[in-house]
Amino acid sequence: MNTLGILVSSDKYMDYVVNLTNAAYAKGKDVRIFFTGDGVMLTQSPKFEKLVGKAEISVCDVSFRAKGLKGDVPGLGFKDFATQARNAEMLAECERYVVF
Amino acid sequence: MKKVAVVIKDKAQQYEGLRVSLGLLLEETQVQMFVLCHEIADMDEAYRENMEILDEMGGERFSDHQANAEKYGFQYLSLEQITDRLRKADVIIPL
Amino acid sequence: MKVLHLLKSEPCDLVEKFAERLFDKEETSVRKLYEKNVDWGAVADEIFSHDKVICWW
Repeated sequence: MNTLGILVSSDKYMDYVVNLTNAAYAKGKDVRIFFTGDGVMLTQSPKFEKLVGKAEISVCDVSFRAKGLKGDVPGLGFKDFATQARNAEMLAECERYVVF
Repeated sequence: MKKVAVVIKDKAQQYEGLRVSLGLLLEETQVQMFVLCHEIADMDEAYRENMEILDEMGGERFSDHQANAEKYGFQYLSLEQITDRLRKADVIIPL
Repeated sequence: MKVLHLLKSEPCDLVEKFAERLFDKEETSVRKLYEKNVDWGAVADEIFSHDKVICWW
């Protein structure tokens, strides 16, 4: 069992997201993260870079724009800004799914 | 098909919870959205439209708040009944 | 079925009710993420050793 999906809809739990991602990655798990709603604000946190390379990261494009955010996010390319369908795929494909 | 319960407790997450619910319906997921403890705060045009799309796509809406049933077409359930529904869900998403 | 409740903050009455009533106590574990010195490696293991994980508010 190897895949963990993390939905991040709050901006309150960055440390939890980083700590769980690091722990799961260290145990050889594939981690996917989808940031949405208030969670997209965490893309502006200096701690965000700690996730890069350890998880497949996507951001809700609508939420990102709605919060007035723009510019590059470390480790993310154009295709990583996605719709809510990305979260649906993550839930369908991951063996475990948690929400922060 | 996975059965998913999106559980919304805080007013601040109402709209996001609806968006997440709608997104999940795109991936052959059975979605039940529960709005708990409060009346929908901002029933604006966007929320109403998205709620209608949720209905059209086969999503279900429940609330333990009577006003949401009377004003906005949610199915009223007691907390006991909601607990029963959550027990049967494959995935619970508290937002 | 083994169920893991993850608590992100001190549980409100609603979360306590759900955690108590949703599943039998014998099959339920609770992990408080808001406490100091959380062993995140253990949390990762628990997530995968339980059949169902619910990450409450």
